[in-house]
Amino acid sequence: MTFVRRPWRLAAEVSALLIALAVAFPLYWMVLSAFKPAGEIQSAEARPWTLSPSLDSFRRVFEQQEFGRYFLNSLVVASIVVIASALIAFLAATAVTRFRFTFRTTLLIMFLVAQMVPVEALTIPLFFLMRDLGQLNTLGSLILPHIAFSLPFAVWMLRGFVKAVPEALEEAAYIDGASRTRFLWQILFPLVFPGLVATSVFSFISTWNDFLFAKSFIISDTSQSTLPMALLVFFKPEENDWGGIMAASTVMTVPVLVFFVLVQRRLVSGLGGAVKD
Amino acid sequence: MNATARRGSGWTPWLYLAPALVVLAGLLVYPLYQLGLISFLEYTQAQVSGGEPTTFKGLGNYATLFGDPQFWQVLLATVVFAAACVLATLSLGCALAVLLTRIRAVPRLALMMAALGAWATPAITGSTVWVFLFDPDFGPVNKLLGLGDHSWTYGRYSAFALVLLEVVWCSFPFVMVTVYAGIRAIPAEVLEAASLDGASRWRIWRSVMAPMLRPILVVVTIQSVIWDFKIFTQIYVMTNGGGIAGQNLVLNVYAYQKAFASSQYSLGSAIGVVMLLILLSVTLVHLRLLRRQGEEL
Amino acid sequence: MKLSARIAVPTAGFVLAGLAGLTATGCAPQTSDNSAKKDEKSGTLRVWLFREVSNEPKQKVVDRAVDAFRARHQDADVEIEYIPVETRAQKIKAAFNDPKSAPDLIEYGNTDTAGYVKDGGLADVTADFEAWAEAKDTDPAAKQSVTVGGKVYGAPLFVGVRALYYRTDVFKDLGLRPPTSQAELVTTAKKIRKAKPAMYGLAVGGAYTYGALPFIWANGGELAEESGGTYTSAIASPAAQKGIKAYTSLFGPDNCPAAKCAEMGGNDTVTAFASGRAGMAIGGDFSHAAVEAGKVKGKYAVVPLPGVRAGEIAPAFAGGNNIGVLKSSSHRTLAVGLMKQLTGKKTQEELFDAMGFLPTYTDVRETAAKKQPFVEPFIKTLAAGAKAAPASPGWAQIDSSLVLPTMFQEVVSGRKDVAAASGDAAKKMNDAFGAAR
Repeated sequence: MTFVRRPWRLAAEVSALLIALAVAFPLYWMVLSAFKPAGEIQSAEARPWTLSPSLDSFRRVFEQQEFGRYFLNSLVVASIVVIASALIAFLAATAVTRFRFTFRTTLLIMFLVAQMVPVEALTIPLFFLMRDLGQLNTLGSLILPHIAFSLPFAVWMLRGFVKAVPEALEEAAYIDGASRTRFLWQILFPLVFPGLVATSVFSFISTWNDFLFAKSFIISDTSQSTLPMALLVFFKPEENDWGGIMAASTVMTVPVLVFFVLVQRRLVSGLGGAVKD
Repeated sequence: MNATARRGSGWTPWLYLAPALVVLAGLLVYPLYQLGLISFLEYTQAQVSGGEPTTFKGLGNYATLFGDPQFWQVLLATVVFAAACVLATLSLGCALAVLLTRIRAVPRLALMMAALGAWATPAITGSTVWVFLFDPDFGPVNKLLGLGDHSWTYGRYSAFALVLLEVVWCSFPFVMVTVYAGIRAIPAEVLEAASLDGASRWRIWRSVMAPMLRPILVVVTIQSVIWDFKIFTQIYVMTNGGGIAGQNLVLNVYAYQKAFASSQYSLGSAIGVVMLLILLSVTLVHLRLLRRQGEEL
Repeated sequence: MKLSARIAVPTAGFVLAGLAGLTATGCAPQTSDNSAKKDEKSGTLRVWLFREVSNEPKQKVVDRAVDAFRARHQDADVEIEYIPVETRAQKIKAAFNDPKSAPDLIEYGNTDTAGYVKDGGLADVTADFEAWAEAKDTDPAAKQSVTVGGKVYGAPLFVGVRALYYRTDVFKDLGLRPPTSQAELVTTAKKIRKAKPAMYGLAVGGAYTYGALPFIWANGGELAEESGGTYTSAIASPAAQKGIKAYTSLFGPDNCPAAKCAEMGGNDTVTAFASGRAGMAIGGDFSHAAVEAGKVKGKYAVVPLPGVRAGEIAPAFAGGNNIGVLKSSSHRTLAVGLMKQLTGKKTQEELFDAMGFLPTYTDVRETAAKKQPFVEPFIKTLAAGAKAAPASPGWAQIDSSLVLPTMFQEVVSGRKDVAAASGDAAKKMNDAFGAAR
């Protein structure tokens, strides 16, 4: 902007870079420590680099436990939740934006209120619900609640994307003789798809990161564990295997980072839309 | 709304809504009801595994809860801690959003990317990394500051401060990115006109930007309040389940410990209900603010 | 339509629906049906055993026992999982909640027996136990630890009793001799720390309840008093408070810095000792293998934990683990067979050789003592009179809600004095005893 004078801008840019470094530092340290050989992690001085990177910590993580399996479990849960909640939310968002019907506003507000429900408070009843459904210690006990909890926000956010599709297009489609279903899946869906991807980031992240449900619902059958629980196994008060913890943390963080970077543009515009509406 | 969109509605919207409503009814509304129900029962492990019959206890659990000084202590800690987190997150996020508008593309991209990295980091790995950074034996922070083997998680306040740092680290990006997008949406002409009129930067912020950003600020504030109030992972992981002698317990961890460690499921549910009511009142405030802005849904 | 009206309607609806739901009856969550439906003679038996600090030797013995079992039961498969001791309570409770994922057999600490029986998790094996020839030689105290209300709920696996491990090389260096009284123990610990600041004098843990109890008992204190089947906490009595004071005086820069040690549990103190970071530690017979596998092999010895007066032995906690069959097991006969295999004389003998676990059979224990002199201090400790935790179902709850660790940690961190902390603990204990009655 023109009214910012030069020296000020320089100072601002330098501080922005410094802050960026500080913010990135924990992640850098995580990856670095994952690659450091054990001796260096436990050495007296903490060097911010390593000259002899090693994969030992990763090897330990994958050998000591069935870490690959937990990774897969996490991936399965997150993918199913993302796909299912995106589809269900798409339908619901279409209903509340492209139709007028009694209770429409009531429903919208319900979705808003539902978004605010602290799902963590529901751990106890969900635990018993999952038990009664026979889902305890299965991935289903994580998939089902997460679909439900990502829905309200997804509907709310998708609303903007569905609204943005011009009504004229819908009319034109009907004039061309398209059925409602055809319009929905072959015209509206592709147009809203970018928005769906942005929305998915949130359901993906909240599912991938889930710790409380994983800890409460999957206890007695470790073959169904997801990553967060596996990570905690390396925690022991007297002798933490920091190399292992950092390697496991890296493995858990990277997929989210990749996903995030891929959709970051859409995410920002999508958020803007959801917030402005 | 024009005629085509309404054509043949009737049941169609409900058909589209059905999957969402079924899922929400089964997995959100029904558990909510059960939460309330369990909080009125005598429900411990013996009842769960069928060793003893389930009995109705009325408000007994709430009486126990409210009569326990630890509950009030935890409640106070939760409120103060959440308030501190929200305040720190918002001020840092807003300050950096403003900073982003003042700098060129390269440093802006650097800060954006770093923030996105922190945002994307799962709470659990963020917690492990921050604990490691501040580890008394092998963490770089103590070495950098020459603190020897000072333990950050031993003292109540330093442990809370450490968790606060992690929470702010992973939640300021949301505020920053959203507010930044909001500022960018303000037409440049408006700002230029204001500065040509000789308004100070503070004036511009107060009288031009702040009012236009208000809706966005309301949303990020409410979101932050909700997130920080129900924090679980960070406290659980960083203070090893609530700290020494439970000094770092917050409501959510407290409820978990009551229910799943001591199997007092009914007490845990009562804590859950208290949490729910507090957050519901925050939501009502949100809705009122929306209404005051005359938002059309 | 104004938004205000639109908000009021659904919100009220929500609340009303909630209220209506609450007053309606009959929708409580079901209780899990833990009774077994069948007794299959083939299939996979799942077993949970505790993961020890050094688990490999235990695993080898168990594998041999399982092989022997499978040789006799061709159709049965056995799947062993080693679970961490710290989180066992949650895991085992989860198994009671979800019979489908539950194992057929579990190892459990004898302090948990009453609680698990009350939870309805363990199967009554009285008849099988009575009919089992080897069980005749079971030490009566061990048998008591699997018995609730006259019925037997498992078979004892080993007797666990703790004594004082110390570093012979360090003691020689500093010209120390093994302490013979509690006061001497404290001064010795501080001397070690002073001379070797990188070491804890005596490794203690704020969450190490069973290491702390001997201090309470040695000072004449008790956990609880029983009268007519009901228990009342005695943790706040003057004698018990004296013991708490003695134990917590060991936390501090002059022995075991509170910032580190307040969080530690029993396994952590053993790990610290085994890796050479402590001059002394309170460890069990069952810790022997871990210490042998550590850096201090050949540089340590064990004596009974001294009592208050010189020459006395502090009453130790009579610990030990059992193996029980879960009520929900659908292979009851096979599971009982495997239980006998895992707790039989032969396996216990091997476990003793591999891990130092003291056998629960009087005859096996005698031969073991002759073979391995290291058990002598443990047997001496046992003979001097070991004490058990209150045999109330409330104890499992007191244990899992960390009442005593919280008390020690409160004192150690200076948040409460001994009187206040023990008073609060007594209140919580009485609540648990009361609820369990």
